[in-house]
Amino acid sequence: MYLRMITASLVRRRSRMLVALLAVAVGATILSGLVTIYHDIPHQMGQEFRSYGANLILVPSGEETSLSGTDVKEAVSYFPSDSVVGVAPYRYQAVKINEQPFMAAGTDLAEVRKTSPYWFVNGQWPEEPGSILVGTAVADLIRLVPGSQLTITGNDANGKVFSRDFTLSGIVQTGGKEEEFIFMSMADLEDAMGDLDVIDVVECSISASGTQLNSYVQQIEASVPAVTPRLVKRVTESEGTVLTKLQALVYLVTVVVLLLTMICVATTMMAVVTERRKEIGLKKALGASNESVTKDFLGEGLILGAFGGLLGVGLGFIFAQTVSLNVFTRPISFRLSMIPVTILISILITGLACLLPVRSAVDVDPAIVLRGE
Amino acid sequence: MNLLELKEVSKIYGTLKALNNIDLSVPKGEWLAIMGPSGSGKTTMMNIVGCMDKPSNGSVILDGVDISKENPRSLTAIRRDKIGLIFQQFHLINYLTALENVMVAQYYHSLPDEKEAMQALERVGLAGRAKHLPSQLSGGEQQRVCIARALINYPMLILADEPTGNLDEANENIVLDIFRQLHREGSTIVVVTHDPEVAEEAERIVVLEHGKIARIEDNHRGEQEEG
Ligand SMILES: Nc1ncnc2c1ncn2[C@@H]1O[C@H](COP(=O)(O)OP(=O)(O)O)[C@@H](O)[C@H]1O
Ligand SMILES: [Mg+2]
Repeated sequence: MYLRMITASLVRRRSRMLVALLAVAVGATILSGLVTIYHDIPHQMGQEFRSYGANLILVPSGEETSLSGTDVKEAVSYFPSDSVVGVAPYRYQAVKINEQPFMAAGTDLAEVRKTSPYWFVNGQWPEEPGSILVGTAVADLIRLVPGSQLTITGNDANGKVFSRDFTLSGIVQTGGKEEEFIFMSMADLEDAMGDLDVIDVVECSISASGTQLNSYVQQIEASVPAVTPRLVKRVTESEGTVLTKLQALVYLVTVVVLLLTMICVATTMMAVVTERRKEIGLKKALGASNESVTKDFLGEGLILGAFGGLLGVGLGFIFAQTVSLNVFTRPISFRLSMIPVTILISILITGLACLLPVRSAVDVDPAIVLRGE
Repeated sequence: MNLLELKEVSKIYGTLKALNNIDLSVPKGEWLAIMGPSGSGKTTMMNIVGCMDKPSNGSVILDGVDISKENPRSLTAIRRDKIGLIFQQFHLINYLTALENVMVAQYYHSLPDEKEAMQALERVGLAGRAKHLPSQLSGGEQQRVCIARALINYPMLILADEPTGNLDEANENIVLDIFRQLHREGSTIVVVTHDPEVAEEAERIVVLEHGKIARIEDNHRGEQEEG
């Protein structure tokens, strides 16, 4: 009879209950949405932060002057492959153009585009052998424009002079020291130098939290003695600070919204219960104890809370997804743990919101309630 | 033996004496009518006898228990076990069917029994409307559901506050017929009414005025069947 009564109340008083259900569902939606976003921020921002450049570099250990390709490969294998945004090796070499000294860097230009997405290239990224990038400082000094031909000279690995012709495909603007460099493919530099497999430094852009990065560093230090990994503190530390502040902000918003939602749900439930004072009076007149009446309403409240919560989980994910797509332009991952948490909190809040008005209504004399009109 | 005894009962609202020193005894099996102008304290008296309200002074003894001394919890229990209430405004639960409305009284009393609830509806001639919601029933039908609900737990005292006040002549007669039958079966009935024709049916008529018993009329036609 208990179940029959409360389901009848929920089903046959459809429009009323829909309002209450909506209130609960909206609350649950915002709650689960915000919590999902809160948890996803490090992931989302981690991706975002990677546009600020490498956060980890590999350099030769101790007395060594260069790294070998095999050492680098081994070190890089300690990063989970799905979190590697880019790995760019650099080999530096002093060269001359028209007898003026410059620094040339041989690298993997495709990877540089990934590790340093903030580079602004006037012209085009080199695609063919023999085409290079130069920094704006270099271009200004010797008046180069994209398409210019130039000859680079220097001493190769054996001390002999080399001279190579290149086509300038683009000019790099970064606002940093890169503007003083000449960038070419590793193959072009190795061809000019006449030796292979010399790497001075490797810039790595890894999408990971500070603690994760630290653990990669420790693993590489322990397992690849020829390589010394270093965090780019400037990047990782500011990332950590921004992340903490952002999460604190969302946390605060979540708490405030949760409070407002609770008040809103409570008021709705109170209105629903207050409207039914006469029913409470009648049930008491029929001999229902205060506990029975409370149980009746609580049962309804709990069912409402459960359904509202369930609705909120779904809608909350859509909400979080929309926010994520609009703010981070990336989809968010669904958290299974949000299902029980949201439903439980909804039930709790609805139960509480029901209990308070029922408590006060239940203590009223049935005579007064039934006397009205 | 008296089922109900009121001794020097008063109910005071602020300065208003809604009931003023009432003494009244109702023997078991009696059909008693209470009349009086509006505001004379009839409903107040019913609420006190029905364990829904407490007197300011005096004692009310129902089936040997002084209910004016009981706490709300035991009043609820007494109401549930001994009293059947019928209201002028019916007071059915609007989202439950006629049958379910009867079963609710069973549920709070002991155990719901659909068959027995159905029999109660048959008794008031509503077997065919068991699955209807109150909004789908006429006033007379709603009052009959209310009566079926009041009777379902075999109360020793039936209290009806203007049960025919909102009914037309035909429905009034149906309700009176049910009361006659209950009376014949030995139920104790207290009916508040404005309607002299309804009061006629009772064995005694208590007339209230300004919270006091103005007079008590013995009604000899009360024992006759079919007035
Ligand atoms: N809860 C209350 N508070 C104050 N006055 C009340 C209350 N209930 C009833 N009264 C007053 O008590 C008097 C008797 O009321 P009532 O018993 O309802 O009369 P009747 O049922 O005979 O019309 C009326 O004057 C009414 O206004
Ligand atoms: Mg009245």
